[in-house]
Amino acid sequence: MLSEELLEPLQKRIAETDHPRELVVDIMLALQNHHGYLSDQAVEEAARLLDMTPLEIEELATFYDFIYREPVGRFVIHVCDGVVCWMNGYDSVLNHLFKKLGIKPGETTEDGFFTILPTACIGYCDLSPAMLINGRAYGPLTPEKIDGILDRLRSEAPPPRMAR
Amino acid sequence: MPKLKIDGLEIEVERGTKVIEAAARLGIIIPRFCFHPGLGPVGACRVCAVKFEEGPVKGVQMSCMTDAQDGMVVSTTDEEAADFRKHVIEWLMMNHPHDCPVCDEGGHCLLQDLTVAGGHGIRRYLGKKRTYNDQYLGVFVQHEMNRCIQCWRCRRFYQEFAGYRDLGALQIAHHTYFGRATDGQLESPFSGNIIDICPTGVYTDKPSRFTGRRWDFERGPSLCIHCSLGCHIITSARYREMTRLEARFSESVNGYFICDRGRYGFYYTNHPERPRRARIRTEEVSLDQAIQTAAQKIIQINQKNGPKAIACLGSARSCVENQAMLIRFCRVQGWNEPTYFETPTMAKKVKRAVARLDEQLAVSMREIEKADFILAVGADPVNEAPMLALAMRQAFRNEATIVVIDPRPVFLPFEFEHLPVAPDDLEPCLTALIKGAVHRSAAEKMGEEALRFYDTAPAEYPDAPIKNRMVKITQKLRQSRYPVIICGTSIVRETTPDVAADSALLLRAARGRAGLFYLMSEANTFGAALLSSEEGSVMDVVESIEKGSVKGLMLVESDPFRSFPDYERLKQAVDKLDLFLVMDYLPSFAARLAHLFFPTQTLFEMETSFVNQEGRVQFATSAYRGGIPISQISAGGHPLRVFRRDIPGGESQPAWQILAKLANIISLPGREMFSLSKNELWSWIAKEYPIFANVPIADELPDDVRVHLAQGREKLFPSGGQIRSGGLSRENSTLELVMGDWTFGTEELSTYSKYLQQVEKEPCLFMSPKDASMLGLKDRERITLPLDKGRLEMELRIVDTMAPGVIVMPKHRQLAWQKIEKWPVKVAMGQIRK
Amino acid sequence: MYPQVIFQNRKPNRIATIDEYRQSGGYQALTMALQKYSPKEVQQAVVDANLQGRGGAGFPAGLKWKSVADDAPFPRYLITNIDEMEPGTFKDRIMAHADPHMIIEGTILAGYVVSAEKGIIFVRPSYESSALILEREIRIAQEAGYLGQNIMGSNFSFDLIVHRSGGRYICGEGTAQINAIMGMRAHPKQPPPRSTEKGLWDQPTVLNNIETLVNVPHIVRHGAEWFKGLAKTKASSGTKLYCVSGKVNRPGCYELPMGTPLREIIEEHAGGLLPGSEFKACLPGGASTCFLGKEDYDVEMDFEGLKKCRNRLGTGAVIVFDQKTCLVGATLNLIDFFVRESCGFCTPCREGLPFIRDLLWRIEHGEGEEEFIPILHRMCAHMWKSYCAFAPGASMPVTSLLDHFPEEVHEHISQKKCPFKS
Repeated sequence: MLSEELLEPLQKRIAETDHPRELVVDIMLALQNHHGYLSDQAVEEAARLLDMTPLEIEELATFYDFIYREPVGRFVIHVCDGVVCWMNGYDSVLNHLFKKLGIKPGETTEDGFFTILPTACIGYCDLSPAMLINGRAYGPLTPEKIDGILDRLRSEAPPPRMAR
Repeated sequence: MPKLKIDGLEIEVERGTKVIEAAARLGIIIPRFCFHPGLGPVGACRVCAVKFEEGPVKGVQMSCMTDAQDGMVVSTTDEEAADFRKHVIEWLMMNHPHDCPVCDEGGHCLLQDLTVAGGHGIRRYLGKKRTYNDQYLGVFVQHEMNRCIQCWRCRRFYQEFAGYRDLGALQIAHHTYFGRATDGQLESPFSGNIIDICPTGVYTDKPSRFTGRRWDFERGPSLCIHCSLGCHIITSARYREMTRLEARFSESVNGYFICDRGRYGFYYTNHPERPRRARIRTEEVSLDQAIQTAAQKIIQINQKNGPKAIACLGSARSCVENQAMLIRFCRVQGWNEPTYFETPTMAKKVKRAVARLDEQLAVSMREIEKADFILAVGADPVNEAPMLALAMRQAFRNEATIVVIDPRPVFLPFEFEHLPVAPDDLEPCLTALIKGAVHRSAAEKMGEEALRFYDTAPAEYPDAPIKNRMVKITQKLRQSRYPVIICGTSIVRETTPDVAADSALLLRAARGRAGLFYLMSEANTFGAALLSSEEGSVMDVVESIEKGSVKGLMLVESDPFRSFPDYERLKQAVDKLDLFLVMDYLPSFAARLAHLFFPTQTLFEMETSFVNQEGRVQFATSAYRGGIPISQISAGGHPLRVFRRDIPGGESQPAWQILAKLANIISLPGREMFSLSKNELWSWIAKEYPIFANVPIADELPDDVRVHLAQGREKLFPSGGQIRSGGLSRENSTLELVMGDWTFGTEELSTYSKYLQQVEKEPCLFMSPKDASMLGLKDRERITLPLDKGRLEMELRIVDTMAPGVIVMPKHRQLAWQKIEKWPVKVAMGQIRK
Repeated sequence: MYPQVIFQNRKPNRIATIDEYRQSGGYQALTMALQKYSPKEVQQAVVDANLQGRGGAGFPAGLKWKSVADDAPFPRYLITNIDEMEPGTFKDRIMAHADPHMIIEGTILAGYVVSAEKGIIFVRPSYESSALILEREIRIAQEAGYLGQNIMGSNFSFDLIVHRSGGRYICGEGTAQINAIMGMRAHPKQPPPRSTEKGLWDQPTVLNNIETLVNVPHIVRHGAEWFKGLAKTKASSGTKLYCVSGKVNRPGCYELPMGTPLREIIEEHAGGLLPGSEFKACLPGGASTCFLGKEDYDVEMDFEGLKKCRNRLGTGAVIVFDQKTCLVGATLNLIDFFVRESCGFCTPCREGLPFIRDLLWRIEHGEGEEEFIPILHRMCAHMWKSYCAFAPGASMPVTSLLDHFPEEVHEHISQKKCPFKS
């Protein structure tokens, strides 16, 4: 069950909106932030909040790139595989991440910190090769830079709630 | 009207007709996957591309998305268009599993047909196929997503057309998946339609899986008799077994779709316990022997006790032929006319409805779709006549306002205004709405009686919350251009059908156009009401048996033990009988008690006709010749190779033929002899009932013939001065018991279906939160409900969508509710306990 | 240096405040419009200025607004599209980080023209920082009285919110975006009815690209003639934000006169190609445009100029490829993107693009056959018969690869490997 703390502002926003369904992505993102990903339970919660059916939530949750229906790490590394990053070293960025984290795209590190998800052009072509971690963009990337970023994230963040 | 040329042929069509439909009228069937005439165009599959050579649109375009316009010259054979269509099919076949040999759709698969027709024969795609995991979708529908070509028909039907919200599109791009959020029974009672409309084998009919290819089946046009609407169906039978049922297109009745009760209700015809031999007590005998024995018994009773000592009960599930022959039989023998209704009230209600429906007021379901205001009184469409809910939904999609006045917790798959009032308040609530929307001058124009009705009908509904909601509704009704009143006949009072008809007349006077649509309890209730001249009921017959004036009882396809409110009383009456004769195809309780039993044929085994609730006479052909299904005598293997001339278990005959044979034996010399010809029977019907005179007895299955009692003879506005104000005399110490239908579990024939039994919900008692809190009862508690002749135990459901002062319970197969002395039932509040 | 209009307040690593925006003349246009001009007059100014929609199609913004009938019902909606997901394009992000109030004022003015009561800024998830900036600045604009009830004492009321997307390229398509806002799957919807008749919640809805709208305040203030004069070419008007990326020394977003020649954009403003690199080709307007070779290097970068060389201006995102970059590989990357982002609604896009992708993958990985080439041509041509503009756009790089760089494709096939890989 969701805490009142989380529910109340969501319910308030829904009550204030003419068309609550406009908030469905926001609600999914809020629940995703809370649960770490949009769990089955979160799908049900979103449906209840918005007077939608779980299927109607699922139709959207599985449509969008930034809604995670499976557990992800504390940090989701969206590596840009747009054409600009591709020509500027996407492959080596990805390979470096594989080597450093020991995981492939779609996987999460043992410690639950990182998930790698290649993603469509993130709009940082002037800084390519680039990646997006939890909403923040980094680029142009070099192996050293990547190491610095990941090490800093790992040391500054509290440990993930549940390692996989 | 736009005139255009398609492949050199000229055609003129109504404005708004799509090119794909215009071509179809010329006999040119342009390929289509996503387009379905029942769902309309959407432009997703792109396989209906044609070349527009001249006119306002140019180039290769989709014929489903383009309105036919003047001056268009269209080529369906143009090279570029044909090449594109071929590519579309090639793309769709990239991931298709090519598993036609094990796919039930094989043989009637649109994808198969168009792949061959489009000329795609050689696979050029070298990549791997995409695969999916399937879901469990319940008892009816088998899921096989790998076959999907993403035409979107299922989702469009399920969500947009039908309004249910548990099947849709998941994922994106070439992973797009159609299914549910999780495994489980599809919630829509219309789910089987996705099987019919799927252009390939993603959804196949689960109960009939692997039972044969389309060409293996005996197939024929027939009728659904699981409610009063009379939807059109196609039957498939094989190895003496009804195997599958599909929707058949009907312009006026059901359109392209049917409900799941209709689709999976037919299994009574294959029921392993179906009595297929004639019986004297428990001994199986030949049909002729049984007829002879019956004749002797009847003659004995007639001689000893006179012709009125034998009573007959027919039923509203019987066809016109059976009903008519039973009446004819009784008349010739000088017996009392047969009874078709459980209670006098029911008989009266139905007779009034039939009397009041005339050609001007009666509307079909297609016309309901066009209404802009629908006012349903005492009707619970999804439960009583599911397809009506879909017709209402189409009106809703066209922005109609829909209002339901009903005490029950009515659910409809769209937004509507529900005014939950007690049965006594249905009429005042209705007239208050009508009076609010119709000016007195309209009644004035219609004469004195109309004015009296108008002036004396309650103008206001006393309950404040409902009254307030009615203000807005009246406004809408005042603006409506085509209002339709739907009136149920099950839970309403005797006078309600008349009040509904009079309200429709007033609306028509005020709005220029209005419709009236009655719901009845069974497939041929309308026929029974038209044919039977007396208002007798089962109640009267039981009384006569108790008094000793009736010694023999003949049931023709009737099981009063299901519907008569007092089981014990009926049982005792039957036990007193000297002769208890039953003709039926159901393994009913009455059939088991019969002294003499005759097996009759089901709808699927004979040529029959039914009159639906709008007075539409409809015909069904026989699907197969009957007999015990081979699967039931072969233990799954091949049947014994024994040569015989008859059909094993094929002794059943149409009830009307058994009656004719019986009559010919017992008739005194000189009385008319009955023929076994259906045409002869129909000429008798036409002679006795002139309104049937225009019904053509043809092989063409006409469905546009409606029979309505002649207009003008009927007294209009008979309830003037009789409708009392609502909500005033309500006793606070009792709750009225309202017994209704459920989609699954209450309709007689379909309760014999093993598949529908699996989706039945446990019967429960509904109560309003107000009453529940007064009684200190909680949701989902088990409670005891005291009735006149005993108690019932069941779960309590507290719902805020129903009327206070009322408790609602289904006439459920699993509930021995027949413990009632007489209707209406009032239960003292304090007596409902945990 | 050309006059900077949209970027007049752009500063390195800093967002212009409302005061800075006002000092540069910000919100004067709104004040003028509400006090002096009727919505029709503002609309006419934009029509006269020939402001072509900057989202890619180039449809005149004034005409789009005009298609909202005078008697169209209320409420009406105005949507500002900041969903840019066209590979190579990042101008919306730069604008939001440079001068958010210009976006807000442009949106309010457009809302004023079509009598909308609510504006929605649709932002992609990768631009969360832009969404946060805009939310913050919208609050500031509200406090300053530029939003809300009866703005500046006029009878015009307008609210503005930020709507976050769940992230899909197709959400950039206008009708798909409207579906997305309504909490439906973001599928495009063909007219009729047009969005301007029945769009968001079946109400009249105008959807504009953010770069289109930021020009509106300047047109109101300085007039149509001034705006037309900003362009280099006669047929066009205003400035254009060109995003240059790829093998150039100074990738970035440059505000230049509409119609600035490609050569100038690349060599002067983006600092020319990287050392050791030579220009081989570029995509002039994002992923759904055609490869443009050296022979068209001097093209004037406006809608007309690119049309002349059978290409599209698109978003004006110039992606530069050098002689060391494999264009088959690049095209495969682009098609991978389109395959993944297809909404899945219609067959050619959902199934045809993966077919094309498979053939390209085989060519790139040494499994190509000459017979693939006519299949690719055919299928790309057929993409134009799909439901929306997505698949035709996706086919453009493929078709142009085959047309302009056939040798490179043949080389892959005959060598049975990618010649750019050792």
